[in-house]
Parts: sequence; structure tokens; C-alpha cells
Amino acid sequence: MATEGLQENETLASLKNESESLKNKLEEERAKLHDVELHQVADRVEALGQFVMKTRRTLKGHGNKVLCMDWCKDKRRIVSSSQDGKVIVWDAFTTNKEHAVTMPCTWVMACAYAPSGCAVACGGLDNKCSVYPLTFDKNENMAAKKKSVAMHTNYLSACSFTNSDMQILTASGDGTCALWDVESGQLLQSFHGHAADVLCLDLAPSETGNTFVSGGCDKKAMVWDMRSGQCIQSFETHESDINSVRYYPSGDAFASGSDDASCRLYDLRADREVAIYSKESIIFGASSVDFSLSGRLLFAGYNDYTINVWDVLKGTRVSILFGHENRVSTLRVSPDGTAFCSGSWDHTLRVSAGVLVSVHILKT
Amino acid sequence: MSSKMSTTNNIAAARRQVQQLRIEASIERIKVSKASADLMNYCYDYAKNDPLLVGIPTSDNPFKDKKPCTIL
Repeated sequence: MATEGLQENETLASLKNESESLKNKLEEERAKLHDVELHQVADRVEALGQFVMKTRRTLKGHGNKVLCMDWCKDKRRIVSSSQDGKVIVWDAFTTNKEHAVTMPCTWVMACAYAPSGCAVACGGLDNKCSVYPLTFDKNENMAAKKKSVAMHTNYLSACSFTNSDMQILTASGDGTCALWDVESGQLLQSFHGHAADVLCLDLAPSETGNTFVSGGCDKKAMVWDMRSGQCIQSFETHESDINSVRYYPSGDAFASGSDDASCRLYDLRADREVAIYSKESIIFGASSVDFSLSGRLLFAGYNDYTINVWDVLKGTRVSILFGHENRVSTLRVSPDGTAFCSGSWDHTLRVSAGVLVSVHILKT
Repeated sequence: MSSKMSTTNNIAAARRQVQQLRIEASIERIKVSKASADLMNYCYDYAKNDPLLVGIPTSDNPFKDKKPCTIL
């Protein structure tokens, strides 16, 4: 019995040693390829001119903090969810509310539009993700057709349809992500590896295959193979919770926003962080990030009520947008890249667009 | 008895971590210079189609203001 115990202890120690040496090897291999910084390579790129951002629409109607929003593929409809338990579908061109449903829980932290535009998914403190088909029948109660799809053992922090209405990917405070079949509610795959709450996820652009990235309270961003459930890459350079992750449009990189007041860019093929977007004057957490269509601009919403726009290649800030009267909690660029929508604890959503005033224009 | 169970769990967890690290350590990587060049090229290729970057004529902007604007 005593000898068995000794063997177990030895095995544990040798495994821990192997862990340490593998971690060191990982850092060595990554460092070998770190021949230059992104912003150095981007030195020869023309600097962006002055940006003027302007709010074009303000969506008012939520009774409490807006926690999440998503665009419909038709580039004009938006779904948003709030601490007051309400999920609202808006026409962003006219600011009209087209649908509204009250969830049985408060803090609806996640919502997503289905690719077809015919349904929305949402969830939060109820630990579930539910799908609501959108009906234009005035007599039909939206809540009546509700379908419970995902069940977690803690709050739902993020959800996203895959490239069809048939599957949903979820992230939860229970530390896992999961892939579900919408029709049957069956769990198709679960993703274990985060050591704490998972706060965000983003699916890779469809051309780049079946992967997604997640970020959590363990300061890690993890890239997963959707079919096998395997974590294929992980990155731990943030100094606090990662609130938001978003793929670069080519699928070769992703950005993250964190409570450590920085946003970062990780390149998947170089397998390392390649840029940090931060300033000494920015001390509040970044809650939400998204790229412009070309990937040149990174929009980030912060807990100090502002939105900063970063030059992704050069690492510099090109614009700052004021207007919200409380934390910016969610931000997404529209599918055709003409505008971006931000949601805030000030109960509103704002659709904004910008104009780049470049030197050339001023000269003529 | 219970300490033996937690030791077994610790070993299982440690083994999983070693397996995970082996997978991560063995992936193929490219140089940052090459990765950066590719990111830059993507930006260049799509810059002219990026409305938030290059702007679009007001008449084409679905979110334009409804009132007319005067140019000084």
C-alpha cells in the first residue's frame, strides 16, 4: 500500500515536470519565429487620416442595461437583450421595434440572430439558450413558440448560430462551451478546458473551416476544433478577464478585449500575440470588439463609456467616440460594413458611421 | 481512501494537461514577418470595399441623416 502511494506521487511529479518542460518548449518554439513586430512591418503602410465618427440612429426602448446585440444578415435589423429581461428586434433604418419578448429571467446576457433572419436565440441567468421563431402574425404571441435548446449549469454568457439555423454554439459561466442541435435540443459536442467562466466566443469565417475561439475569466483565449471538441491552440497573455473575442476577416487571426484595459491581436499561424492596443490613459476594461470589413480598423467599446477605433496594423488609435452615458457593453459592425452598433448600460443602442477625412481630400 | 481518490484525479488532470500541451507544442508555425505581411495584404486587398475605412457617398449610405446638410 505504501509503495503504491509512492508510485502515484512520483507519477504526479513527473507529469508536472513534463508539463513545465512542454510549456517552456512551447514558448521557445514561438519565440524562434518572433523575428519582427507587426507594427514594424506596417511602418511602410500609409497612416490613416483623421476619422470623424457620428451617431446616426439611437434605439430607445429597453428599460435597463443593454447587454448584447447582433445584426441580422439583411444589414438593417438588430436584436438586442437587456438586464430587464426583454429581447427586442429593431429595424435600425427606421428605429421601429418589430418584435419584443420578455424572458422569464433578468440579465439576458446573450442574443443572436439566425442566419435566415427568421429566428433569434437568447439566454442568460436562466442557464439556457432558447430560440424564438420570428412571426409577423400580429395575433401570435412570440413567447408561445419558444424552444429551449441549450442547458448549462451556470449563466449563458454568449451564443451564436453556426452557418445555418440548425446548430447553436454556447458559452457559459460553468466554464464550458457547447454545440447544440436546435431541433432536438441534443448536445452535439462539448468543449472543456477553460479554468473559469467562459465569457465570449466567435466562429471562424466559414471559409476557414470548423473552428471557433473563446475567451474567459481565466485570462485565456482558446481555439477549438468543433468536430472533435479538442482545443487546438491557447493564448494566455492578457492580465485579466477576456470579455470579447472576434476573428479577423481572413480567419488567420483574432482580436480580444479585456478587463486589463487592452485589446490584443493573436495570429493563428504564427501562434502568438502580434499586437497590443492600449494607452496609458485608457484604464477601464474593453467589453466588446469588432473589425471593419477589411480588418484595418478595430472598434472597441469600453467601461469608461467610450468607443476607441484602432489602426490594427500600426497599433495606434485613430478615433474616439463619445455619446453613451454609461458602459459600452456590446458592439458589432454591420454585415455590409457600412456602420457599427453599440449597446450600453445607458439603456440605448446607437448606430454610428464614420468618415475618414484624409489629407488628399483637404488639399483639393 | 479519499486522498487516494484525489491523487488519482490529480494524476488524470495532469495527464490531460500533458496531452494538451503536447498537441499545442507540435503545431506548425510560421514567422511573424510572414504572418504580418499576409495580414497587411488582406487589408490592402479589401480596403477599397470597406465603407468605414474609405467612406461611401451619402446617397448610398443607408444610415444617412434625413435632413439635408449644407457644405460650407
